[in-house]
Amino acid sequence: MLKTIFPTLTRFRFAIQLLMLFVTVYGGALLGTYMVDRISQALPSLACAYDKKTGDQCILIVNQHQLHHRIGEALIKAQEITLKVFIPTLISVGTFFALFFFLNKAFCGWVCPMGTVQEIVYRIGRRLGRPLNRFDSGNVGRVRPVKWLMLLVLVLGLPLMAGMGLASNELGDPYCQVCPSRLVTTLLTADVEQIALRTSTGVNFFLGAAGNALFGFIIIAALAVRQPFCRICPLLSWNALFQRLSPMQLVKKQHDKCDKCSVCEKACPMDIHEIGREHGRKAFHEDCTMCGRCVEYCPDDDVIQIKFFGVKLFGSSREYYKQRVKLETPEGLPKNKVIWLTQAKENQHG
Amino acid sequence: MGGGAGKPVAWTAFPTLKTRMGGEGREGRVVTVVPQGIVANSIDAYSNNIKDAKGHRQLPLDMAGAKLDKPEAGGFHWLAAREEQDDKVRVASTVYFFSNPGKNPTALFMQQKHELEIIPQPFPREHSRYRANEDWKFLVRFNSKPLANQKINLETQNGTKTELVSDAQGVITARMPDDFKAEVEQKTAGSTDNRRRSSDFVLATEYKEGGKSYLTAFNGSYGPDAFDQRSLAMGLGFTLLGMISAVPLLRQRKPAKQAADARQSAATETANHKDA
Repeated sequence: MLKTIFPTLTRFRFAIQLLMLFVTVYGGALLGTYMVDRISQALPSLACAYDKKTGDQCILIVNQHQLHHRIGEALIKAQEITLKVFIPTLISVGTFFALFFFLNKAFCGWVCPMGTVQEIVYRIGRRLGRPLNRFDSGNVGRVRPVKWLMLLVLVLGLPLMAGMGLASNELGDPYCQVCPSRLVTTLLTADVEQIALRTSTGVNFFLGAAGNALFGFIIIAALAVRQPFCRICPLLSWNALFQRLSPMQLVKKQHDKCDKCSVCEKACPMDIHEIGREHGRKAFHEDCTMCGRCVEYCPDDDVIQIKFFGVKLFGSSREYYKQRVKLETPEGLPKNKVIWLTQAKENQHG
Repeated sequence: MGGGAGKPVAWTAFPTLKTRMGGEGREGRVVTVVPQGIVANSIDAYSNNIKDAKGHRQLPLDMAGAKLDKPEAGGFHWLAAREEQDDKVRVASTVYFFSNPGKNPTALFMQQKHELEIIPQPFPREHSRYRANEDWKFLVRFNSKPLANQKINLETQNGTKTELVSDAQGVITARMPDDFKAEVEQKTAGSTDNRRRSSDFVLATEYKEGGKSYLTAFNGSYGPDAFDQRSLAMGLGFTLLGMISAVPLLRQRKPAKQAADARQSAATETANHKDA
């Protein structure tokens, strides 16, 4: 029964993503207005606090506010720095990592509404016959540091400086002002307030303009690039800090055929080439979102596995692989389905 | 009670409760509650942590008002002042919440605290507030029974005075008036660095039963329209700019390069099939 409804891991994951998209965008309407204050305040995905119908909110706004209002202000009044100042921050970060501890980066690949929307747009791009632009192993390294910069500068650095009076107060939550999820989730509730630029000050205007342009770029780029925003998302770097501690792990064994194959690399939406070439710890890269596509598209039994406390939840298999490639190419192009722009279809393989 | 507490404010004759944030930093925050237009001995403070030791406190009033300190758990607080003289009962009420609002406050709001009540349905949650041109619902009830066709007055600090009538379920839908003057900052709300314009409103209603006259008011603050100091046109313009800059990614690559990629990928898949 379950296998009929969810013939592939991707189909199962997509169902979870749609459910979580509903909870993270409209959950407050279903579960009650104040549920957002209760569920977590620290869900490790981009569930936006600016969305008036959301059922929870992203940890990044909590982090920025705490650095801005508590720690930054307390550092200035040095005599007031006590453990009490740090307790709320420790609680929210602790809640975040408690949730994250069990599911690891699956929050990115299975829960985050921004990730889901990008995947849906990419699927539309496949049906429209748009090309796939990938980062090859030579240039993917240029993009990877950006997520750390986003975390250090926009989530941690500027809010702390604003709290200490070293930067404009409007820089108290700069990441939220450029986050495309703020625009995606509010637009999904038919709220256009957030897409209207704040004109009260130059800083507000600049951040808003940058955020809107980034949002526009991401939405169109997602037609031809897999998960364009995830690559620079500060939550990916936050999660990466502790990904080795979780009981949920992506595990890859060494195998002779891996040098010649590389199908898992093609299946990876984050262009993690290490998954094809490396094994052990190096194969579970900091950019991994645990979507499981590399496991689905590995043609050899149990070479790649997702394990929880050492127990295999899902492992690669030849039989599964043979069925999987009949439905979709590793790059995500559906087989036996109409490609709306036929000229492009001729240029696509599959 | 003396000092400024109890004196009515200029913009309304209805009783109100004014809250002023004080203390040093967020941890030592104390809120001063000042009754206006009502004479009371204390302020009743109900927390959404109902079972907590501070679930219901009577805050003594002094010259400057009553002091509401932040409980460990933070949370929503329903604040009320009650005055009873002869056959007249007057109540001023408002809601204040500290950062970390905590538990769902619906049970707190719905718990009977006075005879005649005006209850927000719902109250704006954290990161939200009443704003001009938005519709907000309030329940009007007497001894926990909704009052249908009850008249309620809405008055604002900016000069609006209007009358609303409750529906069969005792609910009124109040559209917050867009009465902010364009160039004037009436006051600021929140931290002094966060110069968000806001103004005050009060909802008030009267009801007579058992030879007594009851008047209850609920006051709060509201901000300008959501699009105040925002530009939708410029927002859409920059979004479009971002979209256009991504368009080159949508162009098909050269057929020779694409065909080579396709051949390589197909060959790998075929080889894997054969192996399998």
